[in-house]
Amino acid sequence: MRVHVVEDDAGVSDSLSLILQNLGHEVILYPDAEGLLRTTPPAGADTVIVDLSLPGISGGQLIRWLQKLASPPVLVVITGQSQGAIDHQLRGVSPVRVLRKPLNAESLLHVLTGD
Amino acid sequence: MDQPTVSEARLLSVLDTAADGIIVIDERARILIFNKACETMFGIGAADAIGQNVKLVMPTEYAADHDEYVGSYIRTGVKKIIGIGREVRGRHADGTVFPLELSVGEAATPEGRQFIGILRDLRPRKESEARLAELQSELVHLARVSAIDEMGAAIAHELNQPLTALMLYLQAIRRAHSRGVDINTVVGDILDKAAGEAERAGHIIQRMRQFVEKRAPERHARDLDPLIDDAIDLTLLGQRHRIRIDREEGPALPPVSVDPVQIQQIVVNLVRNAIEAASVSPEPAIRVSTRLKGDDVILDVQDNGPGIAPEALPKLFEAFASSKRRGMGLGLAISRTIAQNHGGDLLVDPGGHGKGACFSLVLPAFASATAVAGEGGADGADG
Repeated sequence: MRVHVVEDDAGVSDSLSLILQNLGHEVILYPDAEGLLRTTPPAGADTVIVDLSLPGISGGQLIRWLQKLASPPVLVVITGQSQGAIDHQLRGVSPVRVLRKPLNAESLLHVLTGD
Repeated sequence: MDQPTVSEARLLSVLDTAADGIIVIDERARILIFNKACETMFGIGAADAIGQNVKLVMPTEYAADHDEYVGSYIRTGVKKIIGIGREVRGRHADGTVFPLELSVGEAATPEGRQFIGILRDLRPRKESEARLAELQSELVHLARVSAIDEMGAAIAHELNQPLTALMLYLQAIRRAHSRGVDINTVVGDILDKAAGEAERAGHIIQRMRQFVEKRAPERHARDLDPLIDDAIDLTLLGQRHRIRIDREEGPALPPVSVDPVQIQQIVVNLVRNAIEAASVSPEPAIRVSTRLKGDDVILDVQDNGPGIAPEALPKLFEAFASSKRRGMGLGLAISRTIAQNHGGDLLVDPGGHGKGACFSLVLPAFASATAVAGEGGADGADG
């Protein structure tokens, strides 16, 4: 599976990419939402992992845009923010999987395999 | 002494009702009058004091030089204490040395020159000053804790980043290892990265701890700019707004004599306020710069927000008058108090009409600060 990771923190995105490759996925990293928007939109079979607090276009906005695609990819939100801030950012968004930081491999694997 | 005359007796009873200690000495520093207040203050009866050298009530280090001071004045007429009054130290019969305010007057009598000393025990005043300083330092600390509290969620987020990376690096190694994958070529690299992330988490904790720990106020000669840079880093830890920060350092600035954490507290406060003010602008930006003006080192924090409304200006530096939803509204009041305790000040140019506000922290350069401290020192009961 192809996994897109939109994360501005270099340490988090590097370690995510290592573990995802380890799990056998093809990983593409973007430091911000703009980076992803400049390329071909993710396919419906892809997974996009989005950090909520991104510089520039926010994680919430990127998720709204991705959900409007003809065949939207699987979306996973990762965030270290408080529940209140998460709810605020994701207002009006169709339900997505949310992983709170700090992340671990098990919960990531769990989310990526679908339930 | 002879039997006192009626007018002498009347004078002595007046002296004995005085709340201040009163000592009269002659040209040879012998005690002629030692009133009731002095008896209590020094624990010596008038009968024992009269006729003795006034060194009796001085700590040894003053006593050694006192005769010379009196002699020098009588020879040269140069007044070192007469008519001035200053803070000296006295010695109680039990050996306790304590601060006194002493003012000395001079009278020419048929029996020669006499000196009249009026003494006030400064301990009660010192105690209330110390208590006040203690309360103030508690409040200053409280404001720092409150600032960290307000940034709490954002700092937790900042800690989550290295913890996430650390966990994933370790789990990547664990998984490869348990599946028998040969990772020898990369494991060193991954472990280094993991250690780097743990270090990053440690730095965040360290920076916060330094800021919130309770310490007695101190003074060190420090360069202002590195302190400012650290404080900006700390502020940005807890920052979610996107903001451009322009940083300019004044050329060859002298050091300042400061409590580094308290000064950083001011910087954190000013930078947070500036970021908040600028956040409503389409291109949020703040400028943090330092410069030298006369004998002062000045930090300017300029934002490009809307400026400060004229109606908010009179209460800007008052505690609890903030219009902000969060926090206690103590930031600027305490920042100004800290600045003034450092012999400096916190000033504001409110801006407005398309110009943002600019706060200026003024601190005396180290050299001039020591000169002022030297002048005020209590250096003995000379005269």
